Parts: sequence; C-alpha cells; structure tokens
Amino acid sequence: MKSRIYRNPVGVSRFTGLLLILPFIIGAILFIIYPFVCSFIVGLKDGSGDLGFDNYKNIMSDSNYRQTAAVTFKYTAFLVPLKLAVSLLVALLLNCELKGIGIFRTAFYIPSILGSNLAVIIMWQYLFTSNGLVNQLLGVIGIAPVGWYGDPDKAIFIIVLLRLWEFGSTMVIFLAALRDIPNELYYAAKVDGCGSIKAFFHITLPQLKNIIFINLVLQTIAAMQEFNAPYMITGGGPLGSTRTIGMYIYDEMFRYGDEGTANAVSWLLFTLIGAVVILLYRFTEKLRRD
Amino acid sequence: MKKTFLKIAAACCIISLSACSVKKNDSVTKPDGKLDKCSLRFSWWGGDDRHEATLKAIDLWNKKYPDITITPEYGGWDGWSEKVTSQVSSSTEPDIMQINYDWLIALSPDGNGFYDLGELSSQLDLSQFDDEVLSFGKVGEKLNAVTVSVSGRSLFYNSQVFSRMGADYPETWNDLIALGNRFSEDGLYPLDLDIQSGGTAWYLAVVYVQQQTGRQFITLDGRLGFTVEDIKNALSFYKQLEESHVIRTVRTRTDEDGNAALYQSPEFIGGRVAGVLEWGSAVGKYESVLPEGVLEAGPLLTDEKGCSDGWMIKPSLLYAISKNTKHPDEAAAFINFLLNDEECAEILGTTRGIPASHKAEAVLQKSGALNGLTKESESILSNAHTVTISPYMELSRMKEFYNTAIEAVSYGTSDVDSAAQQMFDSVNNYLEKIRK
Repeated sequence: MKSRIYRNPVGVSRFTGLLLILPFIIGAILFIIYPFVCSFIVGLKDGSGDLGFDNYKNIMSDSNYRQTAAVTFKYTAFLVPLKLAVSLLVALLLNCELKGIGIFRTAFYIPSILGSNLAVIIMWQYLFTSNGLVNQLLGVIGIAPVGWYGDPDKAIFIIVLLRLWEFGSTMVIFLAALRDIPNELYYAAKVDGCGSIKAFFHITLPQLKNIIFINLVLQTIAAMQEFNAPYMITGGGPLGSTRTIGMYIYDEMFRYGDEGTANAVSWLLFTLIGAVVILLYRFTEKLRRD
Repeated sequence: MKKTFLKIAAACCIISLSACSVKKNDSVTKPDGKLDKCSLRFSWWGGDDRHEATLKAIDLWNKKYPDITITPEYGGWDGWSEKVTSQVSSSTEPDIMQINYDWLIALSPDGNGFYDLGELSSQLDLSQFDDEVLSFGKVGEKLNAVTVSVSGRSLFYNSQVFSRMGADYPETWNDLIALGNRFSEDGLYPLDLDIQSGGTAWYLAVVYVQQQTGRQFITLDGRLGFTVEDIKNALSFYKQLEESHVIRTVRTRTDEDGNAALYQSPEFIGGRVAGVLEWGSAVGKYESVLPEGVLEAGPLLTDEKGCSDGWMIKPSLLYAISKNTKHPDEAAAFINFLLNDEECAEILGTTRGIPASHKAEAVLQKSGALNGLTKESESILSNAHTVTISPYMELSRMKEFYNTAIEAVSYGTSDVDSAAQQMFDSVNNYLEKIRK
C-alpha cells in the first residue's frame, strides 16, 4: 500500500513555530494576561482612584477578611484529605472485574455531573434542616436532632459533605491510575506471601503517589476557590462561619460595588493558593522521589 | 526570543494600564421623538404574581407596538441587586430596569448613572405623578427614575392561627410582647423577623426607637440620626422580642429554614410562624402560599398612647432607563405604557403596589381591583405619621452592619453595649466615606 506524504502547508521558516502557536498566544494575551494586569491595577485603586497599596493594608487589618481566610483554610483542611481518602477507597472497590461494574462506576460519578446545580442545593438545604431527612434518620437510631445550620461549628460540615458527595472526578482519575498498575506486581507479591493490605501499602500507594499528588493539588485549588456551595446553602452564616474568601470577593465586588478591594483580595487569594501549592510540592518532594 | 517576549509583555502592560485607567466614553444617545423598530431588554425582580402579570403586560405591548420587541429578564430578589450591579459596571445592563430606591445612590451618585428621564417628556407623561413622588427619583437636577408605587412595611398575620389561639392582632408593642408569651405555650411564634436580604429585624427595632425618640435613624442627606444609646435601645428591644418568644432566635430560625426565604419555609406555610413584616407591594408571595384570605393585614404597632410615629415609607420600586441605551424614546414609551396605560394597569393590578400614577390608580379604583392586602397596607400606613426612609439606610453595606450586630446579640457573642458601639462606629464611618 502506498503511503501518503503530507506536506507542511505553511512552509518551514523561522516563523513557522510562532505562527502555529499564534492563536494560543492571542487568546492568552486577551483572556489571561490582559485581565490579570487589569485586575492588579484595579486592585491598587482606592475609593478616590489613587494608585497604591492601601487596599491591601486595609484588607490585612480587616477582621472579616481574616475570618474568611481562616474559614477557607479550615474547609480545605477538612475536605481535601477526606475527599482523597473516599475517592481512593471507592476507586479500589470499583477496580474489580465484576458483571455490571460499569453501572456502579457510572452511579458513583453522577453526583459530580450534577455538581452544585439549584436542585441539588435545594435538596441539600432541606436534608439538613431541623426536621430534615438527616435528623429524621438520626432520630431512628436514637440520636437527638442536630442543629446543623444554626451552629457555627457544624455549618461548615454541610458544605464539606456536599463536596465530598461529589467525589466522582477524583475517583475516575484514581481508577484510571489503578488500572495502569501492572498485575504482575500483585502476582509476584502474592507468590511471596504478601496479603491484600500489605500489597496496598507497598504496591498500590507507591504506584499512585504522583496521581495522589495531582489530585491533592487540584482539590486544594478547587477548595480554596469555593464559592457556590456556601453562597447557596448557608449564605456564609451563621456568624460568618461558612463565609469563604470567594464569597468575600463576591460581596465586595457585586454587593458593595468595591472593585478595588475585590480585585486586591483576588490577588491575595491567588498568592495564597500559589504558596500552598508550592508548600505541598516541597513537602511531598521526597515522598514522590523515593 | 527572550527580548521579543519581554517586548510583548511590556506592550500588554501598557495597553492594560491605559485601558484600565481611561474613563469610559459617556456618549448618551439623544432622543429624536420618534419610535423606531427595535428590540429592548426589560428587567425586574419579584414573586410569581408579579412575573405572570408583567409577562401578560409585555404581550399586550407587543400586540400594540409590534415593531418594538421587549425581551423580559426576571427573577427573585435574592442576588438580583448583585446581578444588576455587575451589569451596570460592565455596561451590559438592560435598556429598562426596575430599580430599588438605594440603587440611585449606589449606581448614580452624581445623577449620571441612569438616563435623564426629564429629556424624554415627549414619550413619558409625568403629569400623572405628584411632585413629591417624582422627587424620589431625582438625583440633583436629573430625573433618574420614575416611582412606580409608594410603599411601607407593615404587619400581616395568619388569621387561622390567631383565631385558633383566640388572639387579637397586637396594637401596641406591649401587646406584641404579651402575645409572644401566650403563643409560646403552643410552640408558636406570632411574628418572624430576618437578618438575611430582607433585614426586617433591624427595621422593626428602628421603628420602635424612632417612635420613642422622634429621631430618624438615618437622615435623608445620609447622616446618622441615632445616638449610641438609641442603637442600644434598638438592640435591647430586638433581644426582648426573642426572649419573649415573639420571634425565633437567629439560631432557631437558621436551623429550621436554612438559607430559604420565609415564604418558602414549612414553618410559615404550616402556621407555626404566624406573622410577617413585609412591604405592602411585595406581600403577594406570602399571601399565595397560604389558603386564600388567610393572611390579613394587622394594625401598626403604637405606644400606649396610640402614637404611630416612626413607621416608614419609601418608593417601593422605580423604573429607570440605561444611560447606554440606543433607543431612549422607545424605552420611555414602554415605561409610559407600564405606568399610565389603562389596559396595562388592569393587567398589572397591585403586583407592584398601589400605582403612583393617578391614571393607573383611577383605573384600578374603577375596576374594584384596589381591595387586596396591598391596598389595606397602604391605607394603614397613610393613616399614620410616617417618615420617608433614607435611601442610605438600605445600602447593602449598611445592612451588613445591622445584621452583624443583631446576629452577635442574638448568639450572645457580643453584649448589647459593645455591639451598639461597633455598629455606631461602622455606620458613621461608612456614611462619612460615601458622602465625600
């Protein structure tokens, strides 16, 4: 069979490469770099339009901002490890060859498709009210009703539970990685008398360490940017216990019309996320290399 | 290559700097007195009753003026203000907007944020409005908006619950407190006050103190009229309402309803919470979730001598035209239709309150449509010595100060004295900042 030879339609010159990536460069300039620079400049403007770092100084001394930052970190610290653990556990369960396993894989992924749409949010709201399904179920096993929304210490867990329920995308990444681990490793371990738990810690986890890191970073970034769920479910209350930095930015920008503060906080959030990701990278560097 | 990249990056920064610092081009399309073929966007918020009536009114307009198409944009109140703020700041707002009173300060502090309706007199008949009513929509010398109706918050009760309890509607503040103690035996509450977007908790406390002191909380020119002592009294009064079982505590309310609005709450629909403080123009959404005729208007609360001072009124809604519209004549004609057209007035009824337009009010009077809760509320308020709410009182940032103080007092995270002092300082500083 005669193979077809493709010719480069644009010819080869020193500008060919540049020409090929030009659409991306234009897109990046228009939709990434330009808004970034604009946002930074607007963040430097105070109420009178003067440029400076007053917004940043005011934000740092604002107790509301410090509270939202603490809420964001608390939320991230609870959600991310839980979500990774649950996703990995379910991925391990679904990584077997049973008849009809595809149905289970799809079923576990459905909550992630639903995301934070309005119907789910409304369902979630009614699940956790005083007379909601959760308290009714607790009542069946003899536990007194819990005040989920009104207790500043518990309200954040309603949001954590919603996001935990949507573990599908993390699970799919784990599942794909699990299926890439060569079966020979498990056979060899079995021959050497290694049990399932030992195999998990000595084969599965080491093989997944890079994927765990990727999921850790992706989930941390998403958690620190959280806005939808607390905005819709708790409105940030009670006593600001579920008000994340994302909500603070939204309130400043759209509720109070303070563009300067909103953009400055956006940059602070960007910096915080960057710092956390760098720290995660540094702390896990040795583990990932070994 | 590195130099080329640096040059591109520098160019981006320069373009961004110039783009971000240059003021927007404020070219306003001048009216030409003609109605041309065009399409206009019209946005409003409200409950289902208002949505249905407004959509029918738009259908009528489209039949009468087939060349001018109106595209409706509507939704509930929650989040609406934020949506319009973002639209206005990005110049993508609809041509015609239903706006709130405080938006005039927030979106048009110098009178240039909306189209000057004074220039559109060829299409918009303003002779149907009293001068005082028109003055609500003026910023400086510019008429930024036309008042649709004047309204105030008053009290509405679930008549079935009250008759089951053998209770009369309270007439004085003391009656209300006594009622709470009586309802508590059955686990019921005679009233609901919220600290969410409605902010009725602080509103009622303000009315109480205004009635006692004769001082207005915030003056029309944006100054704090209350002393720290007045704010303390207001917060103490709120706490007393909770302790007397008149209203649910913030914690109980949040546990039971989450973030849902009261008219969607099983506690209100089921009658456990038997009263609401609401604008006469917006009470329809509470009325519609109860059996017909169950929600009734109650008297305004007075002191023991029957003094009703301190209750407040304001333009409940206004219509404004975007300063960026390309079709000011057509937009003005549509507003005129909504406000003054006789057929349209019949369709809209009292879904936006009792019309401020004399022509529309006469139509509703003639057809016997002025007989619902909205009319009752208006009659009750018109017989009281009301004051006009300062638009500054309703600004979102101000509501945050009120709600923070009420929540702190309710949860006990702060005592009344320090919550009052903090609120006094926050409100004073903010008012001073925005007056500059």
